[in-house]
Amino acid sequence: MANTVIGPDLVIDGEISGDESLVIQGTVKGRIALQEKVSVDGAAVVEADVDARAVEVSGRLTGNIQASERVELRGECRVVGDIRAPRILIADGANFKGSVDMDVKER
Amino acid sequence: MAAISKDSGAATLIGPSIVISGKISGDEDLTVRGRVEGTLELSRGLVVDPGGIVKADVSAKSAVISGVVVGNIRAEESVELTHEARVVGDITAPRVVILDGAAYRGRVDMSGAPVAAAPRPAQATPRAPARVTAPARPVTPLARPVPPPAPPSRAPAPSAPAPAVARASVQRAEGRPVPPPAPPAPPVVAGASRKKVIVRKRK
Repeated sequence: MANTVIGPDLVIDGEISGDESLVIQGTVKGRIALQEKVSVDGAAVVEADVDARAVEVSGRLTGNIQASERVELRGECRVVGDIRAPRILIADGANFKGSVDMDVKER
Repeated sequence: MAAISKDSGAATLIGPSIVISGKISGDEDLTVRGRVEGTLELSRGLVVDPGGIVKADVSAKSAVISGVVVGNIRAEESVELTHEARVVGDITAPRVVILDGAAYRGRVDMSGAPVAAAPRPAQATPRAPARVTAPARPVTPLARPVPPPAPPSRAPAPSAPAPAVARASVQRAEGRPVPPPAPPAPPVVAGASRKKVIVRKRK
C-alpha cells in the first residue's frame, strides 16, 4: 500500500487527514487524523493531536493520542500528552508523561 | 545540476488519500499525489503527480505539474506543465515549459531571470527572480492609509495571490475571461479627504 512519508527536512503546519498510513520523519504541527497507522520516526518532531487506527512513536510527540486499535511507544521516544486506546504498549526506555486510558471499546 | 533528484529516496510523498491543509515548508523534494491546501514553500523540487491536487501558492526551486494546481507558482529554476496538468494561477520562473495538452490559465512571467538552458552551478543570485517579479506595488500607498484590499484589481497579480486566484476561478466559471470588475476608484490623494465614495454593484 502506498505510504505517505513526511521527509526529515519537511515542516507541515496544519492538518493532515486521509486513510492511508503515514510515516513522519520531519516536523508536523497541528492535527493528524487518519484511518490508518501513523508512525513517528526517531528524528521526527510532532506537536499535534493524533487520531488514527494505530500509532507508533519512536520520536518526539507532544499532543494527545487517540487510536482505535493500539498505541506503541518505542524506546527512545519522548511523548507528552494523554493516550486513549484499547491497547497501549510502552517499551523500556520510552519517556512518557501524561495519562493513559485503555477503557475504550475496540472499534 | 539535477533540478529534481527524484530518486533521492528520502523525499517526501503525500499519498493519494491524504489531505493536508496548512503550511508546508521544507528543504527536500516533495511529490504530491493527494491533496494540499494552503501554502507550499520548498527549496527543492515539487512534483504534482496525476491525481494530485494543490490548492496553494507554491514556491519551489522547480516544479513539474501533472495534476491540478490552483494558485500561483513561483520557481527559482523552472516550471513544467505536462500534458496532464490543469493549472490556474500565475507562474513566475525563468524557464516555463508548457507541454501540449496542458490546460492552463494565468500569467507567465519569465522576466529578469538568468535564462540559462543548462543552469550553471554558480547560480549566484537565486533570489533575483523573486525580486524582479515582486511588482513595484507601493506597499505604502500615498498619504492616506488605504486598507490593503483596496488597490486596483488590475494590479499585477504575482504578489497578490488570493485575489488573482479568486478572479481566475470566476473567469473559469463564466467560461470566458472577462475583464475584472471596474477597478475601484484610485486611492485618493490627501486633500480630497471629505469625498464619499460609494461603490454600488450594477445589477
